[in-house]
Amino acid sequence: MGKIIAIHSYKGGTGKTLFSVNLAMTFALKGKKVCLLDMDFRAPSLHAILKAKSEKYWLNDYLNGTCSIEKALIDLTKLSGGKGKLLVGLANPSTEAIRDMSAKDRKWEMRALGRLLAMRNSVLGEMGMDYLIFDTSPGLQYSSINAIVSADIVLVISTIDASDVQGTKRMLTELYDLFEKKTYMILNKVLIDYTTKKGKEELSEKLGNSHSLPIFEIVPCFCDILKAGGTRIIVKEFPQHFFSKTLNRMAEKIEHM
Amino acid sequence: MKKRDFSTKKSLIILEKIRENLEKLNQKIEVMIELQKHGKPSNEPLADVTAPLDVMTLLSMPDHLRKTAITVCRLGRATAEEVAQQTKRARAVESGYLNQLVLMGYLKKERQGRKAYFYVDKDDNNKE
Repeated sequence: MGKIIAIHSYKGGTGKTLFSVNLAMTFALKGKKVCLLDMDFRAPSLHAILKAKSEKYWLNDYLNGTCSIEKALIDLTKLSGGKGKLLVGLANPSTEAIRDMSAKDRKWEMRALGRLLAMRNSVLGEMGMDYLIFDTSPGLQYSSINAIVSADIVLVISTIDASDVQGTKRMLTELYDLFEKKTYMILNKVLIDYTTKKGKEELSEKLGNSHSLPIFEIVPCFCDILKAGGTRIIVKEFPQHFFSKTLNRMAEKIEHM
Repeated sequence: MKKRDFSTKKSLIILEKIRENLEKLNQKIEVMIELQKHGKPSNEPLADVTAPLDVMTLLSMPDHLRKTAITVCRLGRATAEEVAQQTKRARAVESGYLNQLVLMGYLKKERQGRKAYFYVDKDDNNKE
C-alpha cells in the first residue's frame, strides 16, 4: 500500500505548493505513480502552475459527492516526460466555487473527511498509486485538518519568521500530535548560511529550542526560484539545482519511512 | 548488599502504590457501573440529534476518545473488536469508549445477531 502525504503550514506563502508539485514530480521522475490534489479551495493554485484545467469535474465535485474520484482526476503524466504516472485533482478556481466551499457546514465537512479517508482504498488500493499528496491551505482550516487526519505523513513548511516558527510549534503540539501524525518540518527560504558555526547558532537562536523540532530539511532562499514565479517545475527543468537535489533526498527519505 | 536491599524495598513501595491505585480505580468503576444501572438506559443517546463528528469536534475530544472516534471514521463501520485491533487497546476498553461516543451522539450503534456495529451517521448523503 502507498503513502499519503499532507503538505501544510501555519502561514501562507511558505512554499507548500512549490514543495507539493516538485515532490510529486520527483516521485514521478523516479517512475512512481503519484496523485497530487489541490486542497486549497480558498486559493486554488495547482491549475496555474501546471497550466491545466478540468474539463468537467473538479475535486470540489468529488467532495460534494457528485462524481467519483477517477472523474475528478486529470492525467498529466506528459509533464514528467511519460515517466511514472502523475494524476492531478484540481480545486475549482472560480469565485463562485470558492464562495461555495467556504460556506460549507460541519456536516458537509464530516462527509468530506469520510471521502478523503476513502481515498486510501480507491486511490492507493484500487488505482494502485504509490503516493497521494495533499497540497493544503495554511492554518487551521477544515480542508487542511481533514487532509492531515487522512494522511500518514505531514510535512510542515515554515520560514524562520518568528510568528511562523511560533505558530508551527503550536501546531506540532496542538494539532499534529493530537492526531498522532508522523510530522516533519521543512525550513524554507532560509537566508542564513547554516553551514557555518556562526550561522548554525543564529538559526538555532531564531528557532528557539531547536533540538526538539523534527527538522527534515533546511532549504535556502533561491532568487531564481522566486523569479520563476511559480511557472516552472524546478526538479524537471533544473535537475542539478540544489533545490532539486534536496527534493530527491526528501523523496528517498519518504520512500524508506 | 545494602544497595540491593534498598532497590528491593523501593520496588516493593512502587508495587504497593500500583496496587492502591488499582483498588481506587476498581472502586470508581464499580460506582460508574452502578450509576449506569440506575441512570439513563445505556443504549439511548443523551442528545436526540446526531452531533456531526467533524475534525474540529475530534480536536476538542479527550485523547482516549479521539483515538477511538478516528478509528471508526477510518474503518467506516466496525465492532469493538475491530477497533481494538487497530488501537492496540483491550476490546472491553474500546467497547466502553464506543458506547460513550454513542451516548454523546457522535456514533450510531446497530446490532446484527450477537455483534454490535458502530458507525458515523452520514445521513442524507445525497442532499449536499
